[in-house]
Amino acid sequence: MSTEATTPKPKKRDRIGVILYLLYVLLLIASLVLILRLAGIQLFWKPDPKIADALTPSNTVSVIEPARGNILDAEGRLLAISCPIYQFYMDCTVLKDTNTPEQEQAWLGKARQLAEGLAAEFGDKTADQYYKLIKDSRAAGKKYVRIGRPVDRNVYNRVIELPLFREGRYRSGMIVEQEHIRQYPYGKLARRTIGFVRNNKSQVTNTHIGLEGKFDYVLHGQEGREWMRVTDYGRVRNSDSAYVKAMDGKDLRITLNIDYQDIADKALREQITEEPDLEGACLVLMEVSTGAIRAMVNLVREDGTGPFEEIQNLAIGRKGEPGSVFKTVTLMSVLNDGFVRSLDETLPATNGNVAGTSIRDAHIPDFARQHKTNRISILDGFKISSNYVFATLAVKNYGIDKSKGRGKGLEKTERFLQNIYNYKLGEAFAFDLDGLQTPTIPSPATRYWTDTDLGSIGFGYSTEETPLHILTFYNAIANKGRMMKPYLVEDIEERGIVTERRGPAVLNAAVCSKAVADTITRALKAVTEEGTAKRLKDAKCAVAGKTGTSFGTYANGQYQDAQGRRKYQGTFVGFFPADAPQYSIICTVYSKPTGKQFQGGGIPARAIRTVIDKLYNIDPCFREQLKRNPTATTK
Amino acid sequence: MKTWKLADIGLFFKNSFQAVLRGEFLLRLNIGRYFIHIAYTFLLFGLAIWFSLMIETTMSKVEKNKAVLKELEIVHSQKVFEIVNVSRRSSVEQMLGELGSRVGEPDKPATTVKR
Repeated sequence: MSTEATTPKPKKRDRIGVILYLLYVLLLIASLVLILRLAGIQLFWKPDPKIADALTPSNTVSVIEPARGNILDAEGRLLAISCPIYQFYMDCTVLKDTNTPEQEQAWLGKARQLAEGLAAEFGDKTADQYYKLIKDSRAAGKKYVRIGRPVDRNVYNRVIELPLFREGRYRSGMIVEQEHIRQYPYGKLARRTIGFVRNNKSQVTNTHIGLEGKFDYVLHGQEGREWMRVTDYGRVRNSDSAYVKAMDGKDLRITLNIDYQDIADKALREQITEEPDLEGACLVLMEVSTGAIRAMVNLVREDGTGPFEEIQNLAIGRKGEPGSVFKTVTLMSVLNDGFVRSLDETLPATNGNVAGTSIRDAHIPDFARQHKTNRISILDGFKISSNYVFATLAVKNYGIDKSKGRGKGLEKTERFLQNIYNYKLGEAFAFDLDGLQTPTIPSPATRYWTDTDLGSIGFGYSTEETPLHILTFYNAIANKGRMMKPYLVEDIEERGIVTERRGPAVLNAAVCSKAVADTITRALKAVTEEGTAKRLKDAKCAVAGKTGTSFGTYANGQYQDAQGRRKYQGTFVGFFPADAPQYSIICTVYSKPTGKQFQGGGIPARAIRTVIDKLYNIDPCFREQLKRNPTATTK
Repeated sequence: MKTWKLADIGLFFKNSFQAVLRGEFLLRLNIGRYFIHIAYTFLLFGLAIWFSLMIETTMSKVEKNKAVLKELEIVHSQKVFEIVNVSRRSSVEQMLGELGSRVGEPDKPATTVKR
């Protein structure tokens, strides 16, 4: 502004000019007051916090929940999916204080109709009980009364259309809480293998079970974050604030074939449901060339006496003395080490005593009498599952050289045990489920080793193995010596695109030569054709396998209690078709102390027979192929 | 050349005040030269407010559509669950049996024609 501005001569103001001038001055003063007031409010005035909170638009951070990934079977069918469930509550005091007596009567009339609808929908209370609940809660001023049980979307849609509820929450007092839960469309099939993740409300500390638990980091995804503010149009995302997108969980494609799982589950249940003395059973089906597990059934009695449910993974989590199925391990060991060249080699069959031990097999004298011989071949010993033959093979070829003194001469025994470790029967290899037990293999270097240990290892005692370890070993025989690692997760996918391929892996490239594998297969075929597993002889395809029965020990170290009852562990393990194996399979049953017998050739063999017969009809491997004649012409 | 004195500041405020009283302050600043800029600034302010309101409207539509999508996702997952639920092999077999159908599990493997 120029300081040289000259003051113009005063003009005579007219009336309108004066009025306008006064108006101008008034507005000027008002604007000054406003400016001062604004400055005062901005700098010095502190509002009442309650009023400030009420008038300030809320800008709150909101967590965006990621969608949990699905679990798909080998054919892409959904095994686990997230769905919402709804729980109804009721604020019974709604409109209570404002209703006129007539309105109150009308409200209660609708409540009676609602009660009838609720009784019909939920079925847990009668209509009168529901009406009494609503009426009494209204009288008592209860604002959060639980109605019925959690329901799915279809029931939710029907309930919100019931009388009174259809008038909305402000007139009916209806409160709905939604929660996303995991649903398993195939129900109890493979529930323990698929597993679950308990939420934080659970009192149980073991919250991550099965594949859901182990791969929670993949399935869960990553939470997002957004800032929300309240506007005239409702609650909207604040576009000026940071926004972190939620990353949805990835899908898990697993190796289970739910059809095969269904067949295996049904076959096993058919065999065990009517056996009150059984406490559990498991059945695992594995693909020979890859180690992919196609079915894994684990059934345990609920609370010891209830129905069979998938509540414990016996196949990986319960180890026990495997019994005669371990004789194949001894056979492979002596064949690999060249101690036995042919299955037709013989051993003396006189009294059944194993030299240098207290082991005695009472069946040998019977065998000698029946066959009018004093020799028994290894093949015959395998067919009849002779403890004598395999204890003798172990002791004779791997016995401790006692001439070298105490604590020495263990080389041969340690070699046998090393073979067992090489067959991966002494370690808990990496598996797609937590809880794979480490087998127990005794060592001659410890003071717990006894003279009978080597012989009893030879026929499947003094060691503890899980069914999965045994199956992995037999699978290697079927795969001509190449031991595949059992696995359950094929790959991890994102919207149908594979982001991480897991697939097959080799545990031991050659546990034995092809010739040894063929020799053992011959022995295993003999078991199903003429031996202890004759139930499988007429299966739809040839089966090679071995039965095994062991007895659990009691606290006093005995194999039977005072009443002579035993705890059985009966197993059948094998593969099929015997000549070109596609699948290996194991079934183990566990009994309570019982006077009945649960041999490996009984329930396990019957269950496996059913599975094989059904699989044979539907598996693409067994389809017959007709070759089109290229010279044939059609008219 | 004119030199500035401290008293000139006082004179500046005095003249400015008198100009304000006379309603001539802006005229003396010759603010008319910048009218187009001022108008443009006001236009920008107006546009900013208008866009902000439009964004708010769009965001509210986004939220409503998100809610609709979520509802549809829930319905979809519920339907998928129900369909898969009845596709269990043994359930299908049982249902077929109940309906009196002669269709059942195959009793021999399928035969395929190789090209």
